[in-house]
Amino acid sequence: MTPADSRDHTVPPRLVTVNLLGAVEHPALDGSPYRIDRNGRPYVPTGDGGIVLGLELGDSAFALDADHAAPGACLVHADPAARQALAAYACVGNEVRVRTGEAAGARGVVLGKRGEEGRVVAGFAAADLARMRPGDEVSVRARGQGWRPPGLPPEVAVMNLDPGILPLLPIGLPGAGPGPETGSGTGTAAVAVGVRVTVPSRVAGNGIGRPAAAWDLDLQLPPPGPDGAGDVALGDLVAVSDLDVRYNMGYRRGWITVGIVVHGASPLPGHGPGITPLLTGPAAALRPHPDAAGHAGLTAAALQLQ
Amino acid sequence: MKVATNAARLVRQVLTGEVWPPLADRHAYRVGPDGQPFLLPGMGGVTLDVHCGDPATGYASDHLEPGASIRHRDPGANMALQFLTCVGNQVRVVSGPAAGATGHVIGQHAYVLADFTGPAAAELTTGDAVTVLAAGQGLVLPEHPQVVVKNCDPGLLAAMPGGTRPDGRLEVHVAARVPAEAIGAGAGMASEYANTDLMGAYAGLGADLSLGLEGLRIGDLVALADADHRYGRGYRPDYLTIGVISTGQCMMFGHGPGPSTLMSGPASAFYLVDDGDANLARWLHPQPAQSAQDPAVAP
Repeated sequence: MTPADSRDHTVPPRLVTVNLLGAVEHPALDGSPYRIDRNGRPYVPTGDGGIVLGLELGDSAFALDADHAAPGACLVHADPAARQALAAYACVGNEVRVRTGEAAGARGVVLGKRGEEGRVVAGFAAADLARMRPGDEVSVRARGQGWRPPGLPPEVAVMNLDPGILPLLPIGLPGAGPGPETGSGTGTAAVAVGVRVTVPSRVAGNGIGRPAAAWDLDLQLPPPGPDGAGDVALGDLVAVSDLDVRYNMGYRRGWITVGIVVHGASPLPGHGPGITPLLTGPAAALRPHPDAAGHAGLTAAALQLQ
Repeated sequence: MKVATNAARLVRQVLTGEVWPPLADRHAYRVGPDGQPFLLPGMGGVTLDVHCGDPATGYASDHLEPGASIRHRDPGANMALQFLTCVGNQVRVVSGPAAGATGHVIGQHAYVLADFTGPAAAELTTGDAVTVLAAGQGLVLPEHPQVVVKNCDPGLLAAMPGGTRPDGRLEVHVAARVPAEAIGAGAGMASEYANTDLMGAYAGLGADLSLGLEGLRIGDLVALADADHRYGRGYRPDYLTIGVISTGQCMMFGHGPGPSTLMSGPASAFYLVDDGDANLARWLHPQPAQSAQDPAVAP
């Protein structure tokens, strides 16, 4: 017989931090060098995993003719189950530390993750990244899953977010004072989030139906116009309407999901710039404030990666 | 006018597979749209009771795969089986007490799915060997160069109503039209493999989840709006994809009854006819009195 539950549920549980081991990924291809793009043309995928140089937070997701290129190094683990755990437990903002190789000791930050086999995208200062090579061991200080910031409306779920970087993002919690960018947050029961754009759920591609704690969601967005209209940048926050990602990612009318852009565009049909989901809730409790021209998401300066 | 094809130039290849068991892990539970943990059968093995023409949803099931679920034991041979097998191909049981029974492929779902009518399916189980007469990949409609056909037995195409209209469009009969919002798991994958789960068909759940797709039946021909499946599966405004519902009830969020892809092209290349009878049951599994000749395996 189980004794009555005597825990005080008004006290939030304490978070645990787990040191995970990742290895810098080497890009991998199967027997053919070609993939087929959305127009039926073969192409050789570049930048799909591993270390990508010259791409930074704030760059357009369409800046390079690459496939799922991410700003930094992708971290994996040789054991498939450990690799899934690495992807599931790592959170945006977690500190990483290079343990081996020429860049040993360098500090980086988790910028997001990618799904299927599981990858963690870690950003580094450009000089540190240039000294790294595939196979280098990196420690990830994983912390954040299970966290609920004080003041978060009960209907809203947060995931994949290190508590330490909440102040660096344009997220305004009710009663916590104004958000850094939205100018709102006080006197309302809703979370106010500054985003680059809100897109409809019908553009959700690869990642739909998969668990948001371990997958990103590709957005099938067209390239920006000549004047930059419609562009999204790496590190931007983007909202998706009618999408609920609490238990797998799926369509739910009247729901909002906000994620951070973690990798760039892809020629593949059903793929595109990917977001790592951070917040999901009903539209009444989670309000994105799009600002196509002035939005600033996660930046290298704020993360002290320069 | 029946659509012209290059069917006479296609090869028919003999493939083998076996009925593959359901697979689980020790954690047992999956999670539904509202966080409901569930443990439900439906994927793998031989699923009885549900055939083409029956409702796709409304069962205590997850990723319901009607009939036999088939793979090949060798990984490379399995991919060939999954890619080359087409909807409407004949499947013959060659071992076990159901040996000799024939059925038809109704779709792919990382398994080849074969529906058997009559009592044969009840005698079929995991490990029974089957032969698939694969034909259909490479099918071309010369008068409709913008339309890409795949996963479709030429006999099935010949048996389907519709065809080339005087205005040059391809007439296709569909039982349901699916909005782009419904596209779930399967987006971004190859369109010769598995299928596209449709959300918004969770019978009995909240109105906020519904996209009006609770009435789908196994075997229904459906039209997916703004979907380009010519070289994979992606969202593209003003394109259209025709599929056949090959899997049913799902509780897992972001998943649902799924069409296997049959054809795809610009919406302007198609003329859709809403036809409640547009179902594989009408062409592959007619009632015994009508089954003098099976169109899908006719020469």
